[in-house]
This record gives sequence, C-alpha cells and structure tokens, in this order.
Amino acid sequence: MRKLKSAALLCALVIPAMAQADCGEVSITEMNWASNTVVTNVAKFIMEQGYGCDVTVVPSDTVPAVTSVAENGEPDIVTELWLNSAGEAYLRLEEEGKIERLGKVLTPGGVEGWWIPTYLAEAHPELTTIEGIMANPELVNNQFNNCPSGWGCRVVNDNLIRALNLEKSGIKVFNHGSGETLATSMASAVQNNESWFGYYWGPTVPLGKLDMTRVKLGDYKPEVHKKNQTADAKNPGVSEFPAATILTSVTTDFKDREPEVAEMLSKLTFKTDTMSSLLAWMDSNNATGEEAAVHFLSNNSDEWSTWLNDSARGKLAAILSN
Amino acid sequence: MATYDFIFSSLGLEEWCSSSHSDAPMSMAALLAKAKGGEVEQSLWDLPFPSMDALNESCAAFPQSRELTKGLEQGFLAIKDSLSVVLDPITQPLSWALDGTLYTMVTTPWWIVIPVLLALVFFVTKSWKHVFFVAISFIGLAFIDYYVYAMQTLAIIFVCAFLCVLLGIPIGIGMARSDLMQRLTIPVLDMLQTLPPFVYLIPLIFLFSVTESKLYGIAIILYAIVPVIRLTNLGIRLVDEDVIEAADAFGMTPRQKLFKVQIPLALPNIMAGVNQTIMMSLAMVVIASLVSAPGLGVLVLRGIRSLELGVGLVSGLGIVILAVILDRVTKASLARINATQKQ
Repeated sequence: MRKLKSAALLCALVIPAMAQADCGEVSITEMNWASNTVVTNVAKFIMEQGYGCDVTVVPSDTVPAVTSVAENGEPDIVTELWLNSAGEAYLRLEEEGKIERLGKVLTPGGVEGWWIPTYLAEAHPELTTIEGIMANPELVNNQFNNCPSGWGCRVVNDNLIRALNLEKSGIKVFNHGSGETLATSMASAVQNNESWFGYYWGPTVPLGKLDMTRVKLGDYKPEVHKKNQTADAKNPGVSEFPAATILTSVTTDFKDREPEVAEMLSKLTFKTDTMSSLLAWMDSNNATGEEAAVHFLSNNSDEWSTWLNDSARGKLAAILSN
Repeated sequence: MATYDFIFSSLGLEEWCSSSHSDAPMSMAALLAKAKGGEVEQSLWDLPFPSMDALNESCAAFPQSRELTKGLEQGFLAIKDSLSVVLDPITQPLSWALDGTLYTMVTTPWWIVIPVLLALVFFVTKSWKHVFFVAISFIGLAFIDYYVYAMQTLAIIFVCAFLCVLLGIPIGIGMARSDLMQRLTIPVLDMLQTLPPFVYLIPLIFLFSVTESKLYGIAIILYAIVPVIRLTNLGIRLVDEDVIEAADAFGMTPRQKLFKVQIPLALPNIMAGVNQTIMMSLAMVVIASLVSAPGLGVLVLRGIRSLELGVGLVSGLGIVILAVILDRVTKASLARINATQKQ
C-alpha cells in the first residue's frame, strides 16, 4: 500500500513535467558578449514558455562552440554565429551535413570597420576617409588599434595595413592582447575626449554607448575582401568591410528532432537597429541580458509574434499581455 | 506584495517607499510570477534572504544591489584621474625599461644576442654543461622561427624580475629589521599571493593606458615580487644569533652587520627567492599577453582562440624550455653560492 502511494506520488510529480516537455531537452549557446545574451535569453524564453522545451544554456565562444558541434554534436543551437570569425571550420561542418544554417539572426547584419570618435570627425572632417588619416597621422596619435591575434578581423586588418602602407604614413599599429583592452582603450579615449583610431564591430555595448564615426576605406570589393581573409595574402587590396553575416545554426540532428522549434528559430531575426537600441537601454539601466530580453518581449510583441506558430503565440501572449 | 513588506510598514516607512517609483528592469522570474497572477502562496522553504534586491521588491525606494556596484564604479572613476596623476610619472620608467629592453633584444642580431646570453650563463654557473643545454635550446627555438617571440618573453622577464629584486630585497630587509613593518607587510603579501591576477588587472586597465607596456609590467611585478620579499625576510631572520652576538662583540655598526654578516649568510635564501620570482614572472606571461604583452603568450592565446593546436603546443613548449633554462641557471648559481659558503 505504501509503495503504491509513493509510486502514485511519483507519477503525479512526473506527469505534469512530461506534459510540458513535449519538445524535450535543448541546449543553446550563450556567447560572452552582450547582444548574444539578449538573443539567447529571448530564444530560451520562447522555447520554454511557447514550446515547452527544457532548455540548457551553455556558456561558450564562437570557435569552441563550433568545435564542440564538430566533435560531440552538442550544443543543439548556436546563435549569433559570426560567419567570418567561425571561418572554414564552420563551412566544412556544413558540407559534412552536421550543422545547418537556419537564418540570419541580425539583419542586415553586423557592422565591422575602422572608427574614430565623432567629435574628432566633426573637428577634422578630413579624417573620415583613410586618405585623410594617412595625411594627418598626428591627429590620431599616430596609432591604429588592431585586433588581438587569433581573431578573424586581425587577418583582414593586417592585409589592409599592408595594402594601404599604413605604417609608412607614420601610424604605428598597436596589436591588442584581448578584446577587453581594445574596448577599454576606446572607451577611455572617448571619455577623456582624446583621439582614437582603430577597429571595432557592432552591435556591441561600446559602439552603442560611444558616439563613433566610421572611417571610409573605399568601396566594398567582394573578391578583394575574400583575398584579404587569408593570412599573408599576396597582393592584398583595399576594400571596405561588408555587412557581417550573423547566423543561427542548429545541428541537423536537432532539426529532424524538433522541426517546429527549428522553424521558429529560422524566423527569429532582430533588426540591427533594434539590437543597438536594446544594448543602449541595457547600459543605461545597468540591466542584465535576461532583463533586456524581458524588456524586448514586453515592448516589441509585433516583432516576435511573427516568429511563432499559433499555439506558441497564444501561450506567450497570455504571459506577456498583463 | 513581497515577503518583507512588514518591515517597512512596521517602521512606518511606507510613505518613503512609495515616494519613488521604481522602473527598474524586470527579471524573467518576476515576469513569470506576474503572469501567474499576483498573490502566490509562499512557503517557508522559498523564503528569500533579506538582500537588497529582496527588500527593493517591498520598497521601491530601497536601492538594489546593482546600485552598489554602480556607485563603486563611479567612485573609482572619480578618483581615477587624481590617482593617475600620481601613479603615471612614478611608473613611467617601467615603460621605458620594458620598451628599451624589448627593442634591444629584438633588433640586435641573433649572432650577438645568443653568444652574450651564453656568456652570461657561463658567468653565473661556471658550468659548460649548462651553457651547452642553453645553446641547444636557443638554437632549437630559433630553428623553428620562435626566436623573436622567445626573446620578447625573455626581455620582459629580465626587466620584471630585475625590478622585483631591486624593490623586493630592500622591503625584505626592512621587514627583517622591524617587527612592525613585518606585521604590516605580511597581510599585503598574502593578499597579492591569493588574489587571482585578473582581479587586479581590472583597476589597472582603468588606471593606465592599455597601449603602454607598464600595464603588464605592473601586473607581472605585483604577482612575482612576493617570494623574494618573503625569503629575504626569512633568510635574515634565520641568521644564527651567535653570529650576530659575535658581530656585536666586535663592535660592528648595524650597517656593517647587515652588509658583512646578515646578507652574505642569508644569500642562499635570497637566491631561492630570486629563483621563485623569476619562475612566477614566467607564469604570468600568458595572462600578461591578454593586456598586450608581446612574446610566446600571444601565440598561446592565438592557439586557443583559433584552435591552432600546433601553435599552442609549440609555444607552450617554448615557455617550458625557457622556464627550465631559467630554473637550471639560477639553481646552478645558487649551488655555487652555497658551495663557497661552506668553505
């Protein structure tokens, strides 16, 4: 009798959990930058509340996440995958059919480029082109802030520097050791109203918070940029950075297992402007990525409602309407 | 209604609480709780700790804990400018020393640098075996094109270890001579040894420009200076009481006693401290590369970031070789000092 009772109790505990988990266990990456924590939290919330998934968030970074997919087939979902920094390893995985891209998570995509503070551009309008900077290197402290070694942008920048003959014009290239020091050098220069010239990318918290102007490198030439992406390219050329492709990708195994969730993820797209303003809101309110996700979900229902199927839309609307 | 409402109502602070309306960001848990419909029966099991955030839920005027970190940040930024006015000129020579040594070691041709280093090894160890080992290691590193990186790492270690010794030995002597100073210094040393290096990198990044080499210089010195101070202090305190008494009997002044008796007798301990300091500055090389230190550490980081396993392994091996060289050479010179003392 007693046994039966405890078994019944166990069933009572398990059944509601099973009823909710009609989509099973899902693992999703959370990269260590701000916009990705927002994307991951929004996706997690929708999958948990709308589709009843059991979501595990895996803190990771681009290259480790791709490698882990290649070696273990986990995690299921990689969001905000910058195609140019994932490199050939990712493309090979796609060819092998282990991973599949669902869609762009940011439209039109990420912004990469060489930047100066806007007040500097206003004081010296000639600095908004690379020719102007190379003619007046003293106005940017004779320094270019370059990417850390091992980043995709470092290869492109090194080729651009050679193609432009930047160092001939009296600009010293400073190679940062990590993304953190690159960001701090920019932030502290802008806070002290000093000049700064270097590479950065967005949407990120620093570019959302600091008023920066992009330096024109010329036109975007696809074949030149492609050549610049290989280290020590022969005859590198000068080309502007294109809008970076930022993807949501899932393992093929996951797509077969959870077609409905994959369908939703393929539509999950943020406008780059929306993301920039979300990051600015996060910074001014000192908020976490999770809170930014709540802020987005409660204020932009017209955007997210198009991502969902009918039953999930109903469930989420019930939570978020009051 | 939140758990701790009763505190504020019993203190009669409701008016103060409602005076400021909180539009703080909402967390996911709060959103879900709101969706479930207000009043949820709370069991004792779920009782939240009366933390700042929990109290804020009951009383909007009560600050959240993020206000504390925000306040700290603003306080630090406010004193930052005056701090760097003082600290910048003091630490400037460190930048010059690092830049100068790096420039000299890298631009001097290899056929001068390697023989000079080998001569230095022979001078401190007087052992051909060690010279041979070091020569093989350098030639091997140069052969696989890691010469420049290894020299950069070595230059940084030379400067930082030299400054550690220059600053650490006087501090150690001061500690040995005054109990008060020992009592004041030991907690600082304990803190430096237990703090993970990243923790003191954060304020350093804000204080100094990240493009200057003193940033990683200071990080390495703070981490590596501890053993030389501790062992100098210990070495001098361990000098035999009888020897000191004899020195007193001969009428030695305190200065003579220090330079002619205590330091020579403490030399084995001091040298062990120097050895440890060099090894610890080498241990910081990879972390220092995160704040833009050149050398083998950069290659290790590149290996991790772009999963170039080979680069990571070879540069890691390079660091090990440098560590073995520095350890063997300083230990051999330590053994020589010990041997001369026994005579």
